[in-house]
Amino acid sequence: MSDTFVPRALIAEVTHRCPLRCVYCSNPLEMRSRSEELTTAEWQRVFGEAAALGVLQLHLTGGEPLARQDAEQLVKSGRAAGLYVNLITSGIGLAEARLEALVAAGLDHLQLSFQDAEQAQADEIAGTRAHAAKLDLAHRVRKHRIAFTMNIVVHRQNLGRLPEMIALAEELQVDKLEVANVQYYGWAFENRGRLLPTREQVRETVAIVDAARERLKGRMRIDCVLPDYYARFPKACMGGWGQGLMLIDPIGVVLPCHAARVIPGLSFDDVRSKTLRWIWEESPAFQRFRGEEWMQEPCRSCDRRTRDFGGCRCQAMMYTGDPDATDPVCSLAPTRGLIDAVIASVAATPDREADPKWVYRINPANQSAPLPTSSF
Amino acid sequence: MTEPAPTNVPRLAAGCRMTQSADLGPVLLLPESMLRLTGPGPRIVELCDGTRTLANVIAALQSEFSAADPEMIRREVLAFLASLQERRALDLV
Repeated sequence: MSDTFVPRALIAEVTHRCPLRCVYCSNPLEMRSRSEELTTAEWQRVFGEAAALGVLQLHLTGGEPLARQDAEQLVKSGRAAGLYVNLITSGIGLAEARLEALVAAGLDHLQLSFQDAEQAQADEIAGTRAHAAKLDLAHRVRKHRIAFTMNIVVHRQNLGRLPEMIALAEELQVDKLEVANVQYYGWAFENRGRLLPTREQVRETVAIVDAARERLKGRMRIDCVLPDYYARFPKACMGGWGQGLMLIDPIGVVLPCHAARVIPGLSFDDVRSKTLRWIWEESPAFQRFRGEEWMQEPCRSCDRRTRDFGGCRCQAMMYTGDPDATDPVCSLAPTRGLIDAVIASVAATPDREADPKWVYRINPANQSAPLPTSSF
Repeated sequence: MTEPAPTNVPRLAAGCRMTQSADLGPVLLLPESMLRLTGPGPRIVELCDGTRTLANVIAALQSEFSAADPEMIRREVLAFLASLQERRALDLV
């Protein structure tokens, strides 16, 4: 069975250290410490193993990947292995000399994250002053011959400024804008009540994005991720469990997705003790939800099972306690009421309570203070 | 979207490049996506190297694929390039 699935993309979470503390960070609640991180040479070997398996795209992310002193070397190793190298960064502290070094090392694509179009609101979400530094970097990126994507994570508190965000992307002349609604796992799940947009906001988002796409056709691509809570059918999470994508955490543990650790009873192997090929092709964790054997009704006999693979296993686990259940966002799921209840409670809550109480992401345990930007 | 003129010089946009995959054959790598190239696709991409005008690219393909209808080649090349343009994979200089 496994030989029919070829991984095409590798998400390399090279560190969990980050100068930002975003309230929707996709890192796990429990972070890996710096001392355990894979070395430059270990990543280099892993990139080679990934390319041999069929991987074409490498996403260097974190945490903040630039918190590693060897980021340029990682880019170089990725290119040497034949991979397309994408750097997903907050941009904090990325001085011109280092940007030049990354481009010279073979960087193909830089994806810069934004929290908002307005500085005060952006910095509140990031838990630190970051917005001005991002703008400074964004104005420099276009001097280099690399692809440039701006990613704005959207949610209830900032969707009202979506037109301003699109205008900012135009001003910065990005190739691609990602309007990415928060996905409710990890830290975002903790802050779900404040982040989940209303149904009306989701409708407006679709209209605004459609109009901008038409207007900017050929100049800027706009990708838009809507919150699956408002969908009729679940997302094809990660393109199917272990079907085309893998994530490696800072210490080398290989996962089918960011959130997979919420599923009990699975043990995830790491690249220090096993080959990447064995983990992809043979390890029980990657086999667990491949194909359709594991499915329950209504998925098992559903026409959509080959398109959305029953949706997200982690979401099924988080809401129903059963990782084999139909994703509760599906309108056919017997547990859809759990999601509707969340939506109803959001609709009943005022736009913003007087006293905002965000749960900010923390940094790895042995990192007592936020990383000083001067160390980049 | 800008309609290409015969004098425009097409070339791949920054951060877009072609590669050879062991099992997929020629693939165009784009930011966070890829495009499998079939038929004359790889050759068209090769010719869009920033040194030839659109008219030259079409003429080159018409002479290389002389058995095919030249008008059909022209239309196919324009449609192919328009799809690349829409993905922000092509610059017309």
